[in-house]
Amino acid sequence: MDTINLTVNGISLSGHEGETILQTAQRAGIEIPTLCNDESVEHYGGCGLCVVELEGTAKLLRACSTLVSDGMVVHTDSPRIRQSRKIALELLMSDHEGDCRGPCTLKCPAGTDCMGYVQAIGRGDCREAVRIIKDTLPMPATIGRICPHPCEEACRRRLVEEPISIARLKSYAADVVLRSPDPWKPTVSPPSGKTVGIIGGGPAGLSAAYYLALKGHKVTIADAMPQMGGMLRYGIPGYRLPKQILDREISDIAELGVEFINNYRIGKDETFAGFRARYDAVIIAIGAWTGTRIDCAGQELRGVFGGIDFLREVNLGHRPDIGERVAVVGGGNTAMDACRTAIRLGAEDVRVIYRRTRSEMPAQDEEINEAAEEGVKFEFLSAPEEIIGRNGAVSSLRIRKMELGEPDAGGRRAPRPIPGATEELDVDSVILALGQTTNVSGFEDIVLSRKGTIAADEHTFSTNMVGVFAIGDATNGGADIAVAACGEGHRAAGVIDAWLRGIDLPYRKPYVSEREVTAKMYSDKEVIPRASMAKRDPGERRHDFRQIELGLTTEQAEREGRRCLNCGCHDYEQCRLIRYANTMRIEPERIKGDKHPGYTERKLEAIERDQGKCILCGLCMRVCEEVAGEGILGLVGRGFSTVIKPEFNDPRAIAVCRDCLKCVKACPTGALRAL
Amino acid sequence: MKIVIGEGSCGIAAGAGKVHSALESALGGTQGVDLGLTGCIGMCFLEPIVELRDGETLVRRLVRVSEKDADVIAAAAVSGDLSMLDRLCIQPEDEEFLDKQTRIALRHCGIIDPTGIDEYIACGGYEALKKALLNMTQDQVIEVIKTSGLSGRGGAGFPTWFKWNATRQSPGKKYLICNADEGDPGAFMDRALIESDPHNLIEGMLIAAYAIGSSEAFVYVRAEYPLAIVRLEEAISQAKSRGLLGENILGTDFSCDITIKAGAGAFVCGEETALIESLEGKRGMPRLKPPFPAQKGYKNMPTNINNVETFANVPWIILNGGEAFAAMGNQKSKGTKVFALTGKIKRGGLVEVPMGKTLRDVIFEIGGGMIGKSAFKAVQLGGPSGGCIPADLIDTVIDYSAISATGAIMGSGGMVVLDETTCMVGVARFFLEFTTNESCGKCVHCRIGTKRMKEILERIVKGEGKEGDIELLEELCLAIKDGSLCGLGQSAPNPVLTTIKYFRNEYEEHIRSKHCPAKQCRNLLRYVIDPEVCTGCTACARHCPTSCISGRLKQPHSIDSDKCIRCGMCVSRCKFGAISAE
Repeated sequence: MDTINLTVNGISLSGHEGETILQTAQRAGIEIPTLCNDESVEHYGGCGLCVVELEGTAKLLRACSTLVSDGMVVHTDSPRIRQSRKIALELLMSDHEGDCRGPCTLKCPAGTDCMGYVQAIGRGDCREAVRIIKDTLPMPATIGRICPHPCEEACRRRLVEEPISIARLKSYAADVVLRSPDPWKPTVSPPSGKTVGIIGGGPAGLSAAYYLALKGHKVTIADAMPQMGGMLRYGIPGYRLPKQILDREISDIAELGVEFINNYRIGKDETFAGFRARYDAVIIAIGAWTGTRIDCAGQELRGVFGGIDFLREVNLGHRPDIGERVAVVGGGNTAMDACRTAIRLGAEDVRVIYRRTRSEMPAQDEEINEAAEEGVKFEFLSAPEEIIGRNGAVSSLRIRKMELGEPDAGGRRAPRPIPGATEELDVDSVILALGQTTNVSGFEDIVLSRKGTIAADEHTFSTNMVGVFAIGDATNGGADIAVAACGEGHRAAGVIDAWLRGIDLPYRKPYVSEREVTAKMYSDKEVIPRASMAKRDPGERRHDFRQIELGLTTEQAEREGRRCLNCGCHDYEQCRLIRYANTMRIEPERIKGDKHPGYTERKLEAIERDQGKCILCGLCMRVCEEVAGEGILGLVGRGFSTVIKPEFNDPRAIAVCRDCLKCVKACPTGALRAL
Repeated sequence: MKIVIGEGSCGIAAGAGKVHSALESALGGTQGVDLGLTGCIGMCFLEPIVELRDGETLVRRLVRVSEKDADVIAAAAVSGDLSMLDRLCIQPEDEEFLDKQTRIALRHCGIIDPTGIDEYIACGGYEALKKALLNMTQDQVIEVIKTSGLSGRGGAGFPTWFKWNATRQSPGKKYLICNADEGDPGAFMDRALIESDPHNLIEGMLIAAYAIGSSEAFVYVRAEYPLAIVRLEEAISQAKSRGLLGENILGTDFSCDITIKAGAGAFVCGEETALIESLEGKRGMPRLKPPFPAQKGYKNMPTNINNVETFANVPWIILNGGEAFAAMGNQKSKGTKVFALTGKIKRGGLVEVPMGKTLRDVIFEIGGGMIGKSAFKAVQLGGPSGGCIPADLIDTVIDYSAISATGAIMGSGGMVVLDETTCMVGVARFFLEFTTNESCGKCVHCRIGTKRMKEILERIVKGEGKEGDIELLEELCLAIKDGSLCGLGQSAPNPVLTTIKYFRNEYEEHIRSKHCPAKQCRNLLRYVIDPEVCTGCTACARHCPTSCISGRLKQPHSIDSDKCIRCGMCVSRCKFGAISAE
């Protein structure tokens, strides 16, 4: 066979007679993207991604179908080529009707593959479920119990009846695996020789530690509190998250070789510079532990507590003196934790003071209902005006009655005081649960954001200091909820791992295709109510800190798992289209328009075709004819409405299909699927 | 005396068939007056056309004839008193339409009877074939074609001899194909050539087949041309019966058969490789080039494809010599070109002029200028693959390179004249709609890109255009040109690119001022009644479907623009011209 000498991207290559540019380049390890080419069939040239420039030729050529010849000078990457490929992908995505990922996963701040683990549980495979969860979230038993589950807000099962109980399924699977004699363990890479010091052992720090340890780095977490867990331990009451569950998941992280240092505070026990000097990389994950103060007289009185301070005291095993009548100011989850903790400490009259109405409360519905069940009372449209004291201690709280004004730009109705309408409540203590800020003392050289939090780059998590990264509640706008902190920890671990290996790999939210759906699309689904979990009786549970949820039964959990509508694409991990779309940083929104006719065809026994995801590369059709020797499929229609269907749109063509699945394997997207 | 009726598809559509029947019954077998037919005379604007001939001499050309005129025509022909036909006679200035043309490909059109072979033979038909077969080698034929400078009349303008020679040189069985899949909107040159002079095509093809060494030839003609197919079928069997087609033609060793294949209506099948796929029984989708058809074409064998008009020139060139053909035209393009002149033109029809003439010559000299009061704005050449050439480039010379330099293409010969009442964004939208539907679906850029361009153009004409739309269109245009495999995709952006190039301000007015300068985009119109002119007759108000016109009897009326659906009914009902769009 004759050897042909050509130059590709300045590299001299030798090709064989009859070989294409694509083949020669691929042998030399030069990647040229293509969606419609497959070595098993004749070249086609439809997708237009493999375009290359040939010196002396004005047109772009398709590498898949241009034969090499002596002296060719080929370029596989140039602004013109990139632009052509980018537009091809933008056009394809603008015509793509499908969900790469389920809305649950997209809404999850940690990007957890909810669909994957929910369905694994549905199949009774909790071990696989935990494996899937731990790809992005190291503490499923913990997070599953306390997560406000944005995934469930997004769950499309809501369009049928109710969302899937995704969060509780997570803790269910994690519990099952934790109880098993041989719990699932991740694979740890060989030691990298690099060290990472993390300040703060909350969800962000623990998460980062877990994923960095898996990559073989030596990780140390230093924390100011006596035990690891951060807000998970000191902010969340035991009746929601039993400490032994948290202990168990933290010890799993320690087992990876992560070293814990407790009762250690930067600025007190050591300077930040001293700490930083010991590690190749440092992550600041100190959270937000200082209660926000409000404009209200009397906050210096005995019996006034910050919400988060109060919860910490109780979680440390102390019993703050709150008396019998307690006012809790605020409407968030911290306020709910505080009022329900107050009930458990024996307070007889616990009132939540909130300036809007029930429907505006940021706390989760479930928490509010449970608080009410436990005897908490609510004073809506009320704002604290003054805490009145006697002998230096709280004696009453004067509240101002409010009304809701017109909706603001964000659609939220701002409360405004009703002139002259005040009320005085006799109370023994006031707990101000109005949010937290971060305390950055000890980190004086770190640049802060306008909000006073640590400024960290949203893609690289880096601060102004080289090798110092910051994540979680202490940074920027704050991570807000535990699962978001875990997500940042996971993503930062990826960036820092790369950085430690000398690679800049900023995190970018992947581009995905999303579908608009309506309830009508699900009208054929059988109504199966959401699993309701057994709880301890309010009269009983209000006296102790034992967990109130009794967990899902196996039958409940598996049935719940099977309710999943399977919204995401089965092919997301393998899909070449979305991989290229992401590497080329496409912006298909600018050319969005009508999509080609979509339909789902299941006439084949073992193959389902989702036309909305078809990119008309013709591989299924060509493989069927050239490899399988059947020629069942053909292009039907013309122009933009062209679709791949049984040849001549004759359903009888399908009859000869032997379900060889060669078409499914050849499909570069998720348009074809083996059932 | 002989009465001859122009019976191309165009004439028949205008009523020539009825005129023929009426004349037949009016004559009732009268001795001394023959009734015959010919193909397309080329003056679409005067159809149906009836000619009175004395022998070969044209005595009278009667135009816009209706069946009611049959009796008087018959009477005049019988009596010899032609004065009674004066009102039907063509106006002298309309004769310019034919007089100013130079007809080579069209030389027999509208003269001979295309339904028989005799008239063709009588005017020198098949002499060129005889000359080629009996007196010339294959190389000599190709040499003559080379000397003539004949290039592909289907649009690309590729030298014909080169393709012939390349096919001849390629090893293996050779095939010859005539591309008669004329699909451009507004183009009908090939149809007229086949309907009016089918033997000329057969003769041209046979000469080409001889030159390249092919014994199997096809005519791929669109099924929408039923009359062309019938006349060609008849011509093929006539030629066979005279030994001019089939085995041992003219007693030589050369044998060749011609088969007609009717296309199924896909525009892309006019692209040569897609045509070959279709001919092979597959879906019409372009192949990657190289290999070119001359190397691997029909059944992967060397194949030469030429357009109808290209073949139609061949017999003339062989008879008159390559030099005679090359003497017509200019430095860059030789011979003549046939155009289908349509649009807002006074005299529309088939026009053949030597290369090197200007667009002005065709539109104003031959076509007689604009049909209405509105001024000439642009001319669209090359259909969906072509572009719009603006009024200030009216002196552009007709040759392949000069036309291409404007951004349009010569194309197969569609020439649509546009006036000031034509919205250029609308023109672009029209052609993009065409390509969006006619893309074969293979290339992403063409299949989805043209759709996105059409959507952007649609929103511009609806008044929903945005800043940046023109730039986005330009970006898509370049990407589609770069990313498409075949001529359809590569040229699909041309209507958009040329209209943006020459009429950018019109796009901008649509986008920024939500105004259509040509007053064609319905969503951008506002109808108003001029109170000075309005007589208060109430006709508009009575016919308005949304009752948005109010006013008392004999008082000026007014239109409520919010309720108006811009149907234009009021304008057509107003007898006083009081209503206009702005």
